[in-house]
Amino acid sequence: MPGVLSERGDRQREGQMSDQAAGNPENQARLTDTEAGDLVQHYRERIEWDEVQWASHCIDCYPGNCPMRVYKKDGKIVREEQAAVFPTVQEGVPDMNPMGCQKGAGWGRMLKGKERVTHPLKRVGERGEGKWERISWNEATTIVADAMLDAIEEVGPESIIAPSGCNSPNRGNIMGMVGGLTMDLNAEMNDFAPGQYLTFGMFDPVSSVDDWFHSDVFVIWFSNPAYTRIPHNHYILEARYKGADVVTIAPDLSPSAVHSDYHVGLRPGTDAAFALSMCNVVVEEGLVDEQFVREQTDLGLLAFADEPGRFLRTSDLTDGGSDQQFYAWDTKTGQAVEAPRGTLFWGEVEPALEGVYTVEGKDGPITVTPVLALIRARLNDYDPESAAATTGTHADTIRLLARKIAAGRTNFLGSLGNAGKHYHGDLMERAQLLLLALTGNWGKQGSGVRAWTTVGLTFAPVGATSTAQMLDMIEAAQDAAIEADPTLTPAIFLVEASRQIGSTGMAFLPMVPPVFFWHRHCGYDEIWNNSDWHDRSMQRPFAEYWDEAVDKDWWAGVDYPRAEHTPRVLIECGGNVLRRTRGGSNVLLDTLWPKLKMVVTAEVRMSMTALYSDIVLPVAAQYEKLAFGIPSTHTMNLTFCDRIVEPPGEALHEGEVFRLLSEKVAIRARDRGMQPYTDALGTEHDLASQADNFPTRGALEDEEIQTDTRLRDGALAGTLPQDASLETIRERGYFRWEDLGIGARAQAQATDPKPNETFVPFRKHVEDGEPWPTLTRRAQFLIEHPWFVQADEHLPRHKEAPKSGGDYPFSVSSGHNRWSIHSLNITNNLMLETHRGEPHVVMNHEAAATLGVEDDDLVRLYNDQGEFFVRTKLSSGCHPDQVIMYNGWEPYQHKDWKGANDAEPGMIKWLHMAGGYGHLKYSVLQWQPCPVMRNTRVGIEKIADQ
Amino acid sequence: MNDTSPNKQLAWVVDLNKCIGCQTCSVACKVLWTDEDSEDNQWWCTVSTLPGRGTPRDWEQMGGGYDADGNLQPGKEPTPADYGGGFDLNYDEVLYGASDGKQHLAPQGSREDRWAMNWEEDQGAGEWPNAYFFYMPRLCNHCSRPACAEACPSGALQKTADGLVLRDENVCTGSRNCVAACPYKKIYFNPAKGISQQCIGCLPRLADGVAPACVRQCPGRAVFFGYLDEEGSPVNRLVREWEVALPLHPEYGTHPNVYYVPPRLPHPVKEDMSLDTENPRVPNEYLESLFGEKVHGALATLTAEMDRTKAGESSELMTTLIAYRFTELLGPFQTDPADIIATG
Repeated sequence: MPGVLSERGDRQREGQMSDQAAGNPENQARLTDTEAGDLVQHYRERIEWDEVQWASHCIDCYPGNCPMRVYKKDGKIVREEQAAVFPTVQEGVPDMNPMGCQKGAGWGRMLKGKERVTHPLKRVGERGEGKWERISWNEATTIVADAMLDAIEEVGPESIIAPSGCNSPNRGNIMGMVGGLTMDLNAEMNDFAPGQYLTFGMFDPVSSVDDWFHSDVFVIWFSNPAYTRIPHNHYILEARYKGADVVTIAPDLSPSAVHSDYHVGLRPGTDAAFALSMCNVVVEEGLVDEQFVREQTDLGLLAFADEPGRFLRTSDLTDGGSDQQFYAWDTKTGQAVEAPRGTLFWGEVEPALEGVYTVEGKDGPITVTPVLALIRARLNDYDPESAAATTGTHADTIRLLARKIAAGRTNFLGSLGNAGKHYHGDLMERAQLLLLALTGNWGKQGSGVRAWTTVGLTFAPVGATSTAQMLDMIEAAQDAAIEADPTLTPAIFLVEASRQIGSTGMAFLPMVPPVFFWHRHCGYDEIWNNSDWHDRSMQRPFAEYWDEAVDKDWWAGVDYPRAEHTPRVLIECGGNVLRRTRGGSNVLLDTLWPKLKMVVTAEVRMSMTALYSDIVLPVAAQYEKLAFGIPSTHTMNLTFCDRIVEPPGEALHEGEVFRLLSEKVAIRARDRGMQPYTDALGTEHDLASQADNFPTRGALEDEEIQTDTRLRDGALAGTLPQDASLETIRERGYFRWEDLGIGARAQAQATDPKPNETFVPFRKHVEDGEPWPTLTRRAQFLIEHPWFVQADEHLPRHKEAPKSGGDYPFSVSSGHNRWSIHSLNITNNLMLETHRGEPHVVMNHEAAATLGVEDDDLVRLYNDQGEFFVRTKLSSGCHPDQVIMYNGWEPYQHKDWKGANDAEPGMIKWLHMAGGYGHLKYSVLQWQPCPVMRNTRVGIEKIADQ
Repeated sequence: MNDTSPNKQLAWVVDLNKCIGCQTCSVACKVLWTDEDSEDNQWWCTVSTLPGRGTPRDWEQMGGGYDADGNLQPGKEPTPADYGGGFDLNYDEVLYGASDGKQHLAPQGSREDRWAMNWEEDQGAGEWPNAYFFYMPRLCNHCSRPACAEACPSGALQKTADGLVLRDENVCTGSRNCVAACPYKKIYFNPAKGISQQCIGCLPRLADGVAPACVRQCPGRAVFFGYLDEEGSPVNRLVREWEVALPLHPEYGTHPNVYYVPPRLPHPVKEDMSLDTENPRVPNEYLESLFGEKVHGALATLTAEMDRTKAGESSELMTTLIAYRFTELLGPFQTDPADIIATG
């Protein structure tokens, strides 16, 4: 039987385990007590199993990839347990075992939950009423296909919208087939790190979790790994035992902070000021790593001394000179010299980091100074005493931490793009990165900052011939580009190519930034036009910036849907827009939903979005299909989940769901005599002609072939072991990445993985001087875009958070909870038993007392955007100015079905609509505005129990 | 059965500086041993936030154990409400239209007196910015002098030669004397089966050389397991040599065999928000109330050794607590459960 790992007497232990499990039988324990024999037998009967298979959980759990084993008896799941089979990667670094968490340990229970969707359902009551009729797959796909074809004929294919979600294979195919619009995942999930993008030209550096162990200073900042990194948190605490200082910077004494050496309980939203103050100490005390700064950053490049936000360029010196050639002041020769674009290394040149100089410009003398000198002047505003007052901390703490960070390898754990969930998150990140840059803290083991990434595996199986052709094609294009411009690197070529793909709509991953959908069709134009909820330094109305960005074609090619593309069909899969969208389910339900003639959700469980759908399609969960974790450098492993049991009822693999739907669309198009049409991006679609072309193999057969092909593609591309196949991963359970692949995000890690070393990105920048994919080809702290200059954000600074939501006393903090992955496990009855079984908001007990609020009281949180009701959980660890609303709860777990997102305006920062400058250009998952919700203001009042 | 000194004593050492309260041990145990309907409120392994009332609620006020003279102390049996949990949720009404009004999904029934296994999660004590809390995993202590066994009228509980306290469910008459006698309140009465139940140390796994689920599945790598008397083993060194691992409430007199490395929280701050490196964040008296006077020595050792590695020196204690290889946590119970087939 495929996938059976273990049968009595004939199983060989996997080779990689021999060094750590019970290799030596003499060390094997056996109970000494013979009397216990009967009891052993008695209790063993409760847990007996006869079959074991590999598993992992929940692709939406990033980074996930925990190898588990599922134990079965008579074909039924008995239990699951972490496999704990990872070998030691680097001597002197703890191994990763036993990766897993409580959600994974109880996954089998979720499959049988009452919230599980098992049959295609058609709504028979009002949307949201929960009245359903079971229908057949044929009926369901016919209804949806007809609605899609009506939408195409009446409005156009751009009226078919797919919000992004994980685990939606083949949905991309059907969206491409009809010309619908898929919303960019990163803006939907709000996991973008805009400050990292502004500085690095990409947002996705990710070290492996075991690399954390190398840190001398580990700073938990914008994150709470005790909740969100359950399988990996031990590396932080083991680093602490090894001698690292663990620092948590957060308003609350978080569950992670209790295991730290230092807790900086700063005032919510003042993180940039705290970071810049540490920068001030590093600069003023002469602790700057000057060589690192000169090579890695633009801090040694010359800028105009008297004009804010302007680099010196050749075009300032000679008519017709390049506007992409920048300069430094060579202290050895006393003159301005060209900054090399093809390398970060300066050779004999020693760029000045301070001083004011004069160069002869084409229109007369120009006074110039290194960017660091400009920054240093700004840092005067953040001396430790002033910053301590701003942040509510102490100057001595700022000095102490700054010195520690300068002295050791420092790692900032900002899980995913959490700073980016603040309105001024870009400023917070730029301040953090400035501190890392000044102290030489990236591209070395134990150092750096992180976001999230995907590497290695192609998301669609293409087969050996196509893989080889694709690799050849990319290599040829790369070689041609580098021959034309020798300063290019393969990584920069790929990053820049991905920006082109984003703008021409030619993508095999066709996504558009959802900001246009939200603004034009979901009611966000009104919210975003509220100047009171923006930063006060926004000088013009938001609408003017919006119009300028659109009129100047900064988003040309991806600024869809247009106003005339009224949404008609929404296809949700692997996501839950009514739970997660900032701005709230009510905004979507009031504005968007009435326009939609068809809402279809493919789901494993009855989510809020499924409840408000017209058709619900049941899909298989992990254990019921072949699956992998998200391929990432976070664990450096690709973990496999086998098909362990059959899906319940009529549930199908998502790939099969969308294959069936695609086929039905073609058949119904043929039946209605539909003519070919062209979408807004110019692509022609002839649906009717595809009616007879669909593969007819069964889901399981397809699934096995597709999975095998994907793995073999990986082997061909060099990312997986040469013998990678479905058969070999069924033996081993996981593969360690051998290479990261040719994707832009993989190349932007700028490190070749090594089998016996923890992974840290940016090594090629530091060790080989490879340039960065930014305008200046260096990590860039000066952003010259006129909007940034106007906002005085061309260089890092701190700004107070605007009072989004209105002038109310409490600031809302948020973050992932401990008990679920997004909303996936949040209604699971086993997980509900591990807390209070319903949503809660964390409040400081003294702040609550002033409102007459006690623990477990029902309260109303309200502002000018909306309201929601929730129970309190009082904690003295909560900052008195903040309330913490961990996310993931379904709105229908709250009274009146209003979730926390109903009080989140979902503002976007106007500067993030900027384009037409250097690397500020959309590509999939990269530069784009993302709605924020941290520091939303709310009032709180106690509500009498019903 | 009186104060049996087994030839060998199995012991758990939980490092409270590595426990992150994730409940993986609780869930691992739950799905393995108490997955039946009648066992809804049974969590043989639980993690609570301290300070707090714990689970079952206010268990430390329920008596049991021995007095200073070694006499059994009367104990109280927790009520179902003290255990709490076992939530009844209105899935049908919310998701499948079984009600006319708009109900929200939540545990049904009275809120009065509501409790759950982890009700006080992350609440703690103290005042911001000097609040404090930490996580306390608890399971049967497999005591060297088990009050439950002494109180059992039918001889259903035995102390095995490996030091486990085991119940013979066929002998148990459901007197519940054990429930009252256990000062840790880690015994659960099952009305449907008419017997009491408690942690069995994953006996059949041990018999096959596999470490208990709560140990082997701890993603925090916070739990060490093994024979207390095995020279050089992590549990032996942590408990006996370095004396940094201590039993909970030694004054209960049962000589528990689950030991805890006490927590070291971040430095507190003074009124002006400057660091206070002189005083601990968790009041010493509080830790003493949990672990007895020896906690001061344990913390002093821990602090000194952590300071050594911060100064760049090496420390055997720190190396042990790091557990470079996961298998170091498992003692001699190294077998991978996938390598055995457990058939009845």
